[in-house]
Amino acid sequence: MDSLHAIGFYVSAALAGVGGIFLAFLHGHWHRGLALGAFGLGVAGIYASLSAAFAAIVVLVCSVGCALLVARPDYRTVEQAAAGLWRQIGAVGAALLLVALAYAAFRGRFAHATFYDGPFNTMTVARLLFAHDALATEAVAGVVLAALVGAAIAWRRERPRDEREGRR
Amino acid sequence: MTVTLVSVLFVAAGLTALGAFIAAWKRELTAALTGVPVMFAGAGVAFVGVARFGAASGAPLLGQEVAVLLAIAALAAVGLGVGLAGRESSR
Repeated sequence: MDSLHAIGFYVSAALAGVGGIFLAFLHGHWHRGLALGAFGLGVAGIYASLSAAFAAIVVLVCSVGCALLVARPDYRTVEQAAAGLWRQIGAVGAALLLVALAYAAFRGRFAHATFYDGPFNTMTVARLLFAHDALATEAVAGVVLAALVGAAIAWRRERPRDEREGRR
Repeated sequence: MTVTLVSVLFVAAGLTALGAFIAAWKRELTAALTGVPVMFAGAGVAFVGVARFGAASGAPLLGQEVAVLLAIAALAAVGLGVGLAGRESSR
Protein backbone atom coordinates (compact mmCIF):
# COMPACT_ATOMS: atom_id res chain seq x y z
CA MET A 1 0.00 0.00 0.00
CA ASP A 2 1.53 3.34 -1.03
CA SER A 3 1.64 6.52 1.01
CA LEU A 4 -1.33 8.11 -0.75
CA HIS A 5 -3.60 5.23 0.21
CA ALA A 6 -2.22 5.28 3.76
CA ILE A 7 -2.86 9.01 4.11
CA GLY A 8 -6.36 8.50 2.73
CA PHE A 9 -6.98 5.72 5.20
CA TYR A 10 -5.88 7.69 8.25
CA VAL A 11 -7.65 10.90 7.19
CA SER A 12 -10.85 8.94 6.54
CA ALA A 13 -10.54 7.14 9.87
CA ALA A 14 -10.14 10.49 11.63
CA LEU A 15 -13.18 11.87 9.79
CA ALA A 16 -15.24 8.82 10.77
CA GLY A 17 -14.11 9.08 14.39
CA VAL A 18 -14.87 12.80 14.63
CA GLY A 19 -18.25 12.27 12.96
CA GLY A 20 -19.05 9.49 15.43
CA ILE A 21 -18.03 11.63 18.41
CA PHE A 22 -20.18 14.51 17.14
CA LEU A 23 -22.99 11.99 16.67
CA ALA A 24 -22.66 11.00 20.31
CA PHE A 25 -22.63 14.48 21.80
CA LEU A 26 -24.54 16.79 19.45
CA HIS A 27 -28.22 17.52 19.98
CA GLY A 28 -30.84 18.25 17.38
CA HIS A 29 -32.00 16.30 14.36
CA TRP A 30 -30.06 18.28 11.76
CA HIS A 31 -26.82 18.16 13.69
CA ARG A 32 -27.09 14.42 14.13
CA GLY A 33 -27.87 13.98 10.44
CA LEU A 34 -24.82 16.01 9.43
CA ALA A 35 -22.61 14.07 11.85
CA LEU A 36 -23.91 10.77 10.49
CA GLY A 37 -23.22 11.97 6.94
CA ALA A 38 -19.65 12.93 7.87
CA PHE A 39 -19.22 9.56 9.56
CA GLY A 40 -20.46 7.77 6.43
CA LEU A 41 -18.07 9.80 4.27
CA GLY A 42 -15.19 8.75 6.49
CA VAL A 43 -16.15 5.07 6.42
CA ALA A 44 -16.52 5.22 2.63
CA GLY A 45 -13.03 6.72 2.46
CA ILE A 46 -11.68 3.88 4.60
CA TYR A 47 -13.26 1.32 2.27
CA ALA A 48 -11.97 3.11 -0.83
CA SER A 49 -8.41 3.22 0.54
CA LEU A 50 -8.68 -0.53 1.24
CA SER A 51 -9.52 -1.19 -2.44
CA ALA A 52 -13.20 -1.79 -1.73
CA ALA A 53 -14.70 0.91 -3.93
CA PHE A 54 -18.03 -0.85 -4.52
CA ALA A 55 -18.57 -1.28 -0.78
CA ALA A 56 -17.59 2.37 -0.33
CA ILE A 57 -20.28 3.51 -2.75
CA VAL A 58 -22.94 1.34 -1.07
CA VAL A 59 -21.92 2.50 2.41
CA LEU A 60 -22.00 6.14 1.29
CA VAL A 61 -25.51 5.76 -0.14
CA CYS A 62 -26.74 3.93 2.97
CA SER A 63 -25.17 6.50 5.29
CA VAL A 64 -26.79 9.37 3.39
CA GLY A 65 -30.10 7.50 3.71
CA CYS A 66 -29.58 7.06 7.46
CA ALA A 67 -28.62 10.74 7.79
CA LEU A 68 -31.74 11.86 5.94
CA LEU A 69 -33.91 9.64 8.15
CA VAL A 70 -32.30 10.93 11.35
CA ALA A 71 -32.43 14.56 10.18
CA ARG A 72 -36.19 14.49 9.64
CA PRO A 73 -37.75 17.14 11.84
CA ASP A 74 -41.11 15.47 12.41
CA TYR A 75 -40.43 12.17 14.19
CA ARG A 76 -41.41 11.80 17.81
CA THR A 77 -38.93 12.09 20.64
CA VAL A 78 -38.99 8.90 22.71
CA GLU A 79 -37.08 9.01 25.97
CA GLN A 80 -35.63 5.79 27.30
CA ALA A 81 -36.67 4.67 30.75
CA ALA A 82 -33.15 3.64 31.80
CA ALA A 83 -31.68 5.66 34.64
CA GLY A 84 -28.44 7.61 34.45
CA LEU A 85 -26.55 4.93 36.34
CA TRP A 86 -27.33 2.31 33.71
CA ARG A 87 -26.26 4.67 30.93
CA GLN A 88 -22.96 5.23 32.70
CA ILE A 89 -22.51 1.48 33.12
CA GLY A 90 -23.17 1.09 29.40
CA ALA A 91 -20.56 3.75 28.61
CA VAL A 92 -18.00 1.97 30.80
CA GLY A 93 -18.92 -1.27 29.02
CA ALA A 94 -18.23 0.39 25.67
CA ALA A 95 -14.81 1.49 26.94
CA LEU A 96 -14.07 -2.07 28.10
CA LEU A 97 -15.15 -3.32 24.67
CA LEU A 98 -12.67 -0.92 23.06
CA VAL A 99 -9.87 -2.15 25.32
CA ALA A 100 -10.67 -5.81 24.63
CA LEU A 101 -10.90 -5.34 20.84
CA ALA A 102 -7.74 -3.23 20.71
CA TYR A 103 -5.89 -5.85 22.76
CA ALA A 104 -7.10 -8.57 20.39
CA ALA A 105 -5.97 -6.50 17.39
CA PHE A 106 -2.49 -5.90 18.77
CA ARG A 107 -1.88 -9.35 20.17
CA GLY A 108 -3.44 -11.39 17.37
CA ARG A 109 -1.31 -13.36 14.95
CA PHE A 110 -2.33 -12.84 11.36
CA ALA A 111 -1.25 -14.50 8.17
CA HIS A 112 0.46 -12.36 5.53
CA ALA A 113 -0.85 -12.70 2.01
CA THR A 114 -0.76 -10.95 -1.35
CA PHE A 115 -3.72 -8.97 -2.65
CA TYR A 116 -4.45 -9.23 -6.37
CA ASP A 117 -7.67 -7.30 -6.88
CA GLY A 118 -7.92 -3.79 -8.23
CA PRO A 119 -9.71 -0.82 -6.69
CA PHE A 120 -13.01 -1.23 -8.58
CA ASN A 121 -14.28 -4.78 -8.38
CA THR A 122 -17.99 -4.24 -8.81
CA MET A 123 -18.47 -7.20 -11.13
CA THR A 124 -16.82 -9.72 -8.84
CA VAL A 125 -18.64 -8.47 -5.74
CA ALA A 126 -21.93 -8.58 -7.65
CA ARG A 127 -21.11 -12.10 -8.83
CA LEU A 128 -20.53 -13.12 -5.22
CA LEU A 129 -23.73 -11.44 -4.06
CA PHE A 130 -26.07 -12.77 -6.71
CA ALA A 131 -24.50 -16.11 -7.62
CA HIS A 132 -22.37 -17.52 -4.82
CA ASP A 133 -24.14 -16.06 -1.77
CA ALA A 134 -27.57 -15.43 -3.19
CA LEU A 135 -29.27 -16.82 -0.08
CA ALA A 136 -27.57 -14.28 2.20
CA THR A 137 -28.50 -11.49 -0.20
CA GLU A 138 -32.11 -12.62 -0.24
CA ALA A 139 -32.11 -12.82 3.58
CA VAL A 140 -30.91 -9.21 3.81
CA ALA A 141 -33.46 -8.20 1.19
CA GLY A 142 -36.13 -9.87 3.35
CA VAL A 143 -34.91 -7.95 6.41
CA VAL A 144 -35.01 -4.69 4.44
CA LEU A 145 -38.50 -5.44 3.12
CA ALA A 146 -39.80 -6.31 6.59
CA ALA A 147 -38.21 -3.14 8.00
CA LEU A 148 -39.71 -0.95 5.30
CA VAL A 149 -43.18 -2.49 5.68
CA GLY A 150 -42.99 -2.19 9.47
CA ALA A 151 -41.78 1.38 9.26
CA ALA A 152 -44.53 2.31 6.81
CA ILE A 153 -47.23 0.73 9.01
CA ALA A 154 -45.88 2.32 12.17
CA TRP A 155 -45.46 5.70 10.46
CA ARG A 156 -49.02 5.71 9.18
CA ARG A 157 -50.53 4.65 12.50
CA GLU A 158 -49.54 7.83 14.31
CA ARG A 159 -51.72 10.66 13.05
CA PRO A 160 -51.96 14.24 14.20
CA ARG A 161 -54.61 14.71 16.83
CA ASP A 162 -56.52 17.45 15.01
CA GLU A 163 -56.66 15.29 11.86
CA ARG A 164 -58.07 12.36 13.83
CA GLU A 165 -60.67 14.56 15.45
CA GLY A 166 -61.55 16.19 12.15
CA ARG A 167 -62.45 12.86 10.57
CA ARG A 168 -65.03 12.00 13.22
CA MET B 1 3.56 5.64 6.45
CA THR B 2 1.76 2.38 5.85
CA VAL B 3 -1.46 0.62 6.78
CA THR B 4 -1.42 -2.85 8.26
CA LEU B 5 -4.12 -5.24 9.36
CA VAL B 6 -3.50 -4.23 12.97
CA SER B 7 -4.21 -0.56 12.25
CA VAL B 8 -7.38 -1.49 10.32
CA LEU B 9 -8.57 -3.67 13.18
CA PHE B 10 -7.78 -0.91 15.66
CA VAL B 11 -9.94 1.54 13.68
CA ALA B 12 -12.67 -1.12 13.50
CA ALA B 13 -12.46 -1.63 17.26
CA GLY B 14 -12.76 2.11 17.83
CA LEU B 15 -15.80 2.42 15.60
CA THR B 16 -17.52 -0.57 17.20
CA ALA B 17 -16.89 0.73 20.71
CA LEU B 18 -18.03 4.22 19.65
CA GLY B 19 -21.28 2.77 18.32
CA ALA B 20 -21.83 0.87 21.56
CA PHE B 21 -21.17 4.07 23.48
CA ILE B 22 -23.70 6.02 21.39
CA ALA B 23 -26.33 3.29 21.85
CA ALA B 24 -25.75 3.23 25.61
CA TRP B 25 -25.29 6.93 26.27
CA LYS B 26 -28.02 8.67 24.29
CA ARG B 27 -31.22 9.18 26.20
CA GLU B 28 -33.46 9.59 23.15
CA LEU B 29 -34.39 6.36 21.38
CA THR B 30 -33.82 7.50 17.80
CA ALA B 31 -30.51 9.10 18.77
CA ALA B 32 -29.41 5.88 20.43
CA LEU B 33 -30.41 4.05 17.27
CA THR B 34 -27.74 5.93 15.32
CA GLY B 35 -25.19 3.80 17.16
CA VAL B 36 -26.29 0.80 15.10
CA PRO B 37 -24.79 2.02 11.77
CA VAL B 38 -21.61 3.00 13.61
CA MET B 39 -21.25 -0.47 15.14
CA PHE B 40 -22.06 -2.17 11.84
CA ALA B 41 -19.54 0.05 10.06
CA GLY B 42 -16.89 -1.02 12.57
CA ALA B 43 -17.65 -4.65 11.84
CA GLY B 44 -17.60 -3.91 8.10
CA VAL B 45 -14.19 -2.23 8.33
CA ALA B 46 -12.85 -5.34 10.08
CA PHE B 47 -14.30 -7.60 7.37
CA VAL B 48 -12.90 -5.45 4.56
CA GLY B 49 -9.50 -5.26 6.25
CA VAL B 50 -9.27 -9.00 6.65
CA ALA B 51 -10.35 -9.47 3.03
CA ARG B 52 -7.75 -6.92 1.94
CA PHE B 53 -4.79 -8.26 3.88
CA GLY B 54 -5.68 -11.95 4.11
CA ALA B 55 -6.97 -12.47 0.60
CA ALA B 56 -5.14 -15.71 -0.07
CA SER B 57 -6.68 -17.54 2.86
CA GLY B 58 -10.25 -17.45 1.55
CA ALA B 59 -12.57 -15.81 -0.91
CA PRO B 60 -10.96 -12.38 -1.44
CA LEU B 61 -14.19 -10.42 -1.81
CA LEU B 62 -16.19 -12.07 0.93
CA GLY B 63 -15.34 -9.30 3.40
CA GLN B 64 -16.50 -6.60 1.01
CA GLU B 65 -19.71 -8.51 0.42
CA VAL B 66 -20.40 -8.74 4.16
CA ALA B 67 -19.67 -5.01 4.52
CA VAL B 68 -22.23 -4.23 1.82
CA LEU B 69 -24.85 -6.42 3.51
CA LEU B 70 -24.13 -4.84 6.91
CA ALA B 71 -24.56 -1.32 5.50
CA ILE B 72 -27.93 -2.22 4.00
CA ALA B 73 -29.06 -3.91 7.22
CA ALA B 74 -28.03 -0.81 9.21
CA LEU B 75 -30.11 1.40 6.91
CA ALA B 76 -33.08 -0.94 7.40
CA ALA B 77 -32.66 -0.86 11.19
CA VAL B 78 -32.58 2.94 11.29
CA GLY B 79 -35.60 3.14 9.00
CA LEU B 80 -37.56 0.74 11.16
CA GLY B 81 -36.57 2.55 14.36
CA VAL B 82 -37.55 5.98 13.06
CA GLY B 83 -40.80 4.50 11.76
CA LEU B 84 -41.58 2.89 15.11
CA ALA B 85 -40.90 6.16 16.91
CA GLY B 86 -43.70 7.68 14.86
CA ARG B 87 -44.53 11.18 13.81
CA GLU B 88 -44.82 14.05 16.21
CA SER B 89 -48.53 14.73 16.64
CA SER B 90 -49.57 18.35 16.34
CA ARG B 91 -51.57 19.64 19.30
